[in-house]
Amino acid sequence: MTNAIDRRRFNCILLSAPALGVAGYLPASARDFIEPPYLKDQIEAKRLPPLQERIPVKPRVIDLERMGRKPGRYGGQIRMLMGDPKDVRMVVVYGYARLVGYDENLNLVPDILENFEVEDGRIFTLRIRPGHRWSDGHPFTAEDFRYFWEDIANNEKLSLTGPPAEMLVDGKPPVFEVLDECTVRYTWPAPNPAFIPALAGALPLYIYAPSHYLKQFHVKYAHPAELELKVTSARVRDWTSLHERMGRMYRPQNPDLPCLDAWCLSTAPPSTRFVFKRNPYFHRIDTEGRQLPYADEIILNIGSSALVAAQTATGEADLQARYIRFDDYTFLKSAEKRGGFNVELWGRGEGSRMALLPNLNAEDPVWRKLWRDVRVRRALSLAIDRREINQAIFYGLGRESANTMLPQSPLHRLEYQTAWTRFDLDQANKLLDEAGLAKRDWDGIRYLPDGRRAELVVETAGESTEQADVLALIRDNWLKIGIKIYTRPTQRDLFRKRVYAGSVVMSVWSGLDNALATPDMSPHELAPTGQAQLQWPKWGQHYEEKGAVGEPPDLPEVRRLLELYLAWRQSRSTAERAVIWHEMLKIHADQVFTIGTVNGTRQPVVVSKRLVNVPEEGIWAFDPGGYFGRYLPDTFWFRDTAE
Amino acid sequence: MLLYIFRRILIMIPTLLLTSALVFTIMELPPGDYFESYMAELQAQGEGVDKARIEFLKKEYGFDKSPVERYFIWLGGLLQGDLGYSFEYQMPVSELVGSRIFLTVLVSFATILLTWLIAFPIGIYSATHQYSWGDYGLTFLGLMGIAVPNFLLALILMYFANVWFGTSIGHLMAPEYLGQPMSWAKFKSILEHMWIPVIVIGLAGTASMIRKIRANLLDELQKQYTITAKAKGLHPFKALVKYPLRSSLNFFVGGIGGILPEIVSGAEIVAIVLSLETTGPLLIKALQSQDMYLAGSFLMFLALLTVIGVLISDIALAFLDPRIRLQGRSTR
Amino acid sequence: MTSMLLPPPGSPLEHYVSEKPFDPKSIDRLSAAQERIYLASQWRLMWWKFKRHRVAVVSGIFLGILYISILFCELLAPYHYQSRHIDHIYSPPQRVHLFHEGQLIGPFVYGQKYSLNMETLKRQYEPDRSVVHPIRFFCRGDPYNFWGIFESDVHLFCPAENGTLFLLGTDRLGRDVLSRIIYGARVSLTIGLIGVAISFMLGLIFGGLAGYYGGIIDLVIQRIIEVLQSLPTIPLWLALAAIMPVTWSPMVVYFAITVILGLIDWTGLARAVRSKLLSLREEDYVLAAQLMGASPVRIIGRHLVPGFMSHLIASATLAIPSMILGETALSFLGLGLRPPITSWGVLLTEAQNINIVALYPWLLTPAIPVILVVLAFNFLGDGLRDAADPYK
Repeated sequence: MTNAIDRRRFNCILLSAPALGVAGYLPASARDFIEPPYLKDQIEAKRLPPLQERIPVKPRVIDLERMGRKPGRYGGQIRMLMGDPKDVRMVVVYGYARLVGYDENLNLVPDILENFEVEDGRIFTLRIRPGHRWSDGHPFTAEDFRYFWEDIANNEKLSLTGPPAEMLVDGKPPVFEVLDECTVRYTWPAPNPAFIPALAGALPLYIYAPSHYLKQFHVKYAHPAELELKVTSARVRDWTSLHERMGRMYRPQNPDLPCLDAWCLSTAPPSTRFVFKRNPYFHRIDTEGRQLPYADEIILNIGSSALVAAQTATGEADLQARYIRFDDYTFLKSAEKRGGFNVELWGRGEGSRMALLPNLNAEDPVWRKLWRDVRVRRALSLAIDRREINQAIFYGLGRESANTMLPQSPLHRLEYQTAWTRFDLDQANKLLDEAGLAKRDWDGIRYLPDGRRAELVVETAGESTEQADVLALIRDNWLKIGIKIYTRPTQRDLFRKRVYAGSVVMSVWSGLDNALATPDMSPHELAPTGQAQLQWPKWGQHYEEKGAVGEPPDLPEVRRLLELYLAWRQSRSTAERAVIWHEMLKIHADQVFTIGTVNGTRQPVVVSKRLVNVPEEGIWAFDPGGYFGRYLPDTFWFRDTAE
Repeated sequence: MLLYIFRRILIMIPTLLLTSALVFTIMELPPGDYFESYMAELQAQGEGVDKARIEFLKKEYGFDKSPVERYFIWLGGLLQGDLGYSFEYQMPVSELVGSRIFLTVLVSFATILLTWLIAFPIGIYSATHQYSWGDYGLTFLGLMGIAVPNFLLALILMYFANVWFGTSIGHLMAPEYLGQPMSWAKFKSILEHMWIPVIVIGLAGTASMIRKIRANLLDELQKQYTITAKAKGLHPFKALVKYPLRSSLNFFVGGIGGILPEIVSGAEIVAIVLSLETTGPLLIKALQSQDMYLAGSFLMFLALLTVIGVLISDIALAFLDPRIRLQGRSTR
Repeated sequence: MTSMLLPPPGSPLEHYVSEKPFDPKSIDRLSAAQERIYLASQWRLMWWKFKRHRVAVVSGIFLGILYISILFCELLAPYHYQSRHIDHIYSPPQRVHLFHEGQLIGPFVYGQKYSLNMETLKRQYEPDRSVVHPIRFFCRGDPYNFWGIFESDVHLFCPAENGTLFLLGTDRLGRDVLSRIIYGARVSLTIGLIGVAISFMLGLIFGGLAGYYGGIIDLVIQRIIEVLQSLPTIPLWLALAAIMPVTWSPMVVYFAITVILGLIDWTGLARAVRSKLLSLREEDYVLAAQLMGASPVRIIGRHLVPGFMSHLIASATLAIPSMILGETALSFLGLGLRPPITSWGVLLTEAQNINIVALYPWLLTPAIPVILVVLAFNFLGDGLRDAADPYK
C-alpha cells in the first residue's frame, strides 16, 4: 500500500476535474463520506488515505433507491460454501467488477471504465476513471493496458497461441494506442462486435494487468538474477510459469496480487477456508456517501459438494445457490427457522434444463441419414409430453418450451418457444411414416431402412438423477411412436469424447448456456462454432480448427447458420444484429436441431435473514451476469451490523 | 539375522519399482487426462473455458511428451524426493499432503486406540465364555460394525449429531477454526467432531479384530501348557494373560505391516462423506480427476509405507518367534 | 479279603469260567451309538458339531430361504421394480391393518390423499380412512418377464384394483421400495458368490504353489502379494473401473465388477493357504505320497487341501459379506452397478442424501437386508469353522 498520492501524474484529472473536487459528483443527499469501520485502524495509522482520495475522481454511483432497494450500512461477513478449491474463482464471478458489465435489464453499462465509444463497430475508445487505483493503492492507468497488450498478449512465451480470439478479426490483431494516461484505443480493420460482450463476460476477457506488480516477474523488466532467484524459490520451470501463476486474476491464488474487484483474496492456498477482504480502493459508491462493498469480507468454506445442502440447512452459509439442487428445496424450506435464512426460488438461465441432441455427425450411417430428415427430428419433439415432465419432476414450476430464448430475453418470441412442442402422438407417427419408417415390428417398434429395429442408445454424462428421470418419462412416450431408447450413463469426459468421435447417436445435455441473449451478444451457440456442441461436434470442430480437422456442414440450413454467424461478427449496428439473431432463432425453431423439454426451472437461493438487498426473484445464469454478479452483491448488507 | 534384513531390503527395491510402474500404468490407462476432465467439468456447469491457459498449462507439465518419458521424469523426481505438482490445487504435492497429515494421523490413532480398547476385552471374554449368550451378544455388536455400510452410518450419525447436539455438519472442526492456528477452542471443536469418524471407522475394524483375538486365543487355550497350568493351580487370570494371550499376539505383530499405510491414508469413503480434512478424500479426488502427480506420488508413498511396514513386522516376528526364523526355507 | 486266602500248594485254583461261546472279535464290535460316531465320515462329524451352534443354524436357514426366493422374486414382489407411479412420489410406508371400524376384514391398507404444499414443495400424504384397499393374494398385477422365458403377471400378493400397496414407501419416481429390495437381492446376493469363487481359486492356486514349492516361486508370489496389498483398495477399484469400456452392457459390467472384486481379494486367502501348507507339507503322509510317485497336483489336491478344507470353507463364507459390502462401496463411488440395474448398493447410493435422511427415511431400508445378510453369513461362517476345527 503506497502512502504517496501522486496527483500530478493524472494529467487527465487536471484537465477535466471541476474546481469542486470529488464531492461535486455526489448527489446533494450525501454531505460527507462515511468511512468503513473495518478500515478505521489503517486510516488512523495513516496506512490508508481518506475515502475521498481512495475512490476515483468520478466513481460509479449506484443509486439503490432507483433500483427499488435500500441503501445499506457497513459490516459483516458473507459466508459461502464451495465444493472445490477451484471455486475461488466464484468471488471474481459474483463480484462482477468488469470494464463493462450487464445490468439487471441486460444493458451494457460501463463499470470499471468511465465510458467507452464505438465507432463504426471497429474503433473502440476506452476511458478509465481518473484516480482509479489498484487494491494496493497504485494508480490504474493506461500503462496496465499497454503492459497486457505488448508484454503478455504479444509475448510468444506467455501467450503461446497469440492474442485472445476475441481480439482478432479475420486473424488480424488491432492497432493499440494509448491516447493519454486514462484513454486507450483499439482499432480493427473490420467490425469486432464480440469485443465489448467479451469484456462483460462472467469469464471476462482481461485486457489489463497490474503492471507495477507483474513487472518483477517479467524477463523484460526484472533484474535477471532476482528473477532467477524467484523462479527457483517458487519451484517452477521458468519465468513464464512464475508470471502466469502470480498474475492469475480469474482464479486468484496470490494474495499479494493487486485487484480491482470488490473483495480481494487474502488467504494463500492451500486452505479450506478462503477469506476475501474489502478492497479499499473500489470504484463504486452509493448515494449516501458510503463506498461499496457494504460487507467487509467474503468467506469461502471449501468442503465436499455433497454436504453443501446439509451445511446450508444448519445456517452455515449466508448466501448460497451453488451446489444447491432443486431437490434440496423441501429440506431447506423445512430448516428455514432453525437456520435463520429464507429460501428464494430464482429461475435458471438455460435454454432448456435438459435437451436431447441427435448427433448429426454420428458414425452410424443410417441414423446419420435419419437425423438429416427434419421430419424425424420434429416427430421426436412432438412425442415428448412436456407437461408430464414439468409436473412430475419440476412441480409444474418450469416452462414447457423448445430449446430457445427465455421470455426475459429481448429476442424471445412465442413462436420460437412453442415450435413443435405440443404433445401430438398422431402427428409424430405420421411424420415418421412419411420419413420412410412405416414398417413396424411385432411389438410396434419401427424398422430402420436397413432392417434394424429403431432402437437407439441415449448417452448421458451420468451426473444428475433428474436427467435419468426425464428420460424414463420420454422413453415410455417414444415407445408409442415406435422408437425404443436405452439410457446409458457414462463418465463426463468419456461421454464427450465419444460424442466427438461420433460413437454416440443421441446425447443428453443442458440446452443453450445463454438463453438471455440480447442482439449484441454473440450467437455462437446457434451455429456450428465449436467441438463442444454435441449436436454437430465435427462441424463445430471444422470451424474451430479453421478447417484443419472435422467436416464442413452439409445441411443447407446449418450452412446458413454459419453464414449468419459470420455476418454477425462483421455487423455494425444493433439493429443489424437483431435481424441476424432472429433469423438464426427461426431456423432453429423450424429445424429442431436440438430437442428442448422444459426451461425456466427453479434454482433455490438461500439468503440469510440478516442479508438485505438480495432480489427475491432473479435469473441464475453464468453468462450473462455471473450468477449473482448482475444483481450487485457489493450492495448486499447485513441489517444487524455494528455500524 | 542381519543377512536376513539385508536381503529383505534388497528385495524391496525391485518391488517398489514394479509398484511404481503399476501405479503409473493405472494412472495412464483411463482415457483422457486432467485437462480434458477439467474442461469437461467447466462445460458441464455452463461456464467458459480459457483454452489458451489450458494449452499453456499442458505444455508446462510436459503433456506434449510421450508417456514413457513422463514416467521416467516422474520416477526421477520421486527418487530425489520431489513428489511433483498437483494440477487441481496448483501447488507441490508434498505441501498439500503435509498440510493434512497431522489431522489424518490424529484420527487414525484415535481410531486404532478405540478399536483395540473395544476389541480386546470382547475378544477375551468371547474366547473364555464360548457359546454363552454373552459371547453371542457381544459378537453381534461387533459384527454390526462391519455389517452396516459405513458411508450410510456416517451420514446418519452426522445428521443426528447436528439435530441433537448442534455439532456442525461435516469436517473435523467448526468452520471458523479452519486454517487457524491451534487453540484450546479449536481443539475442543476437533474432539466434538472427531467421534463420528472414529466410531464409524473403528467399528468396522473392531469386528475382525474380535474374531482374530478370539480364534487365536481359543487355539492357545486348547494347548497342553494351558491345561497344565490350570491343573497346577495357577490363578485363572494369570493362566489367561501371562501365557496364552502373549502367544496369540503373534498376529498383531504380523498386522503392523498393514497399519502403517492405513494410518496415513485412512478410511477414504467415510472421509469423503464427512468431508474431513484428511488425506483420503485428497487421494480419491485426485484419482477421479486424473491429477497425475498427486495421485501417483501419494500412492507410491503409501506403497513405500506398506513395504516398510511389512519389513518391520517380519523382522519383529522373526525376533519374537524363533520358529519362524528357523523354518520357512525351501524344501528338497 | 478272608476269602482270598491262598490255596494249599499243589491244589487247583478256583477261577471263574464264562459259559458264553468264545467270540474273538468281541472287543471290536461297537454298540449302535458308538458305531455311529466312530464310523461317521468327516462331513457327518462336522454336521453334528455344526448343529450345536444354534445361531449358525438359524443363519443358514435364513440364507437358504433368501437364496431360494431369488428364483421367484418376480412372484414375491408386489410390483415390478421399474413400475412408476407418478401420483405417489415419495409416499411414506402404508401400514397394514386387520380391523376396520371394529370388523375383521383381513389384511388391507387405507387409501391415500395427496396434496402438494406449494410453499415448501412438499408432497403430503394422509391416509384416507374411508377408502379400504384389501390386499389380494395369488393375484394378477404388474406384468413381468420370468427369467426371460415367459411372460406372466401372477404375484404372491398385490394391491387392490386401483389401490396401492407401498409397504416400505416409494422413491422419487414413485417406485415401490419393497419390490426394488426384493429384486435387488438377486444381484447383491449372487455378485458375492462369483467374486468369491474367483478369489478362492486364485488364492488356492497361488497359495498352494507358494506353500508347496517354496524357494523362488514362494519369493515371487510373496512379492506379488505384497505389491497388490500395498496398493489401497479403493484407488485400485477406481482405476480398474475407469478402464472398463462404456460400450459393455450393464450385465457385462456386472460380471466385470465381480471379477475385479475377486481379483483383488485373493491375497488374504493365498497367504493363509501358504502358511498352512508350509507346516503341513512336513507331515509323513505327504512324504509317503511323494515316495509313491504322486504328482504335486495330486498331493496338494488330494492330501493337503482336505486337511484345511474347513478353514477354506469358513474363509469363503466370511468373504462373501465383504463382497456384498464391496459392491455397495463401489456403487457409492459411482463405479459399480448403475440404474437401471437394481442392487442394494444402487438403492443405498440413491438414498445417500441429507434430504432422504431428514425427510424420506424409508428409503434407507435397503440397509436392513444388507445388515442381516452380512450378519447371517458371519455367524454361518463362524459355525462352520468351529465345526470343522479338528482340535475340538
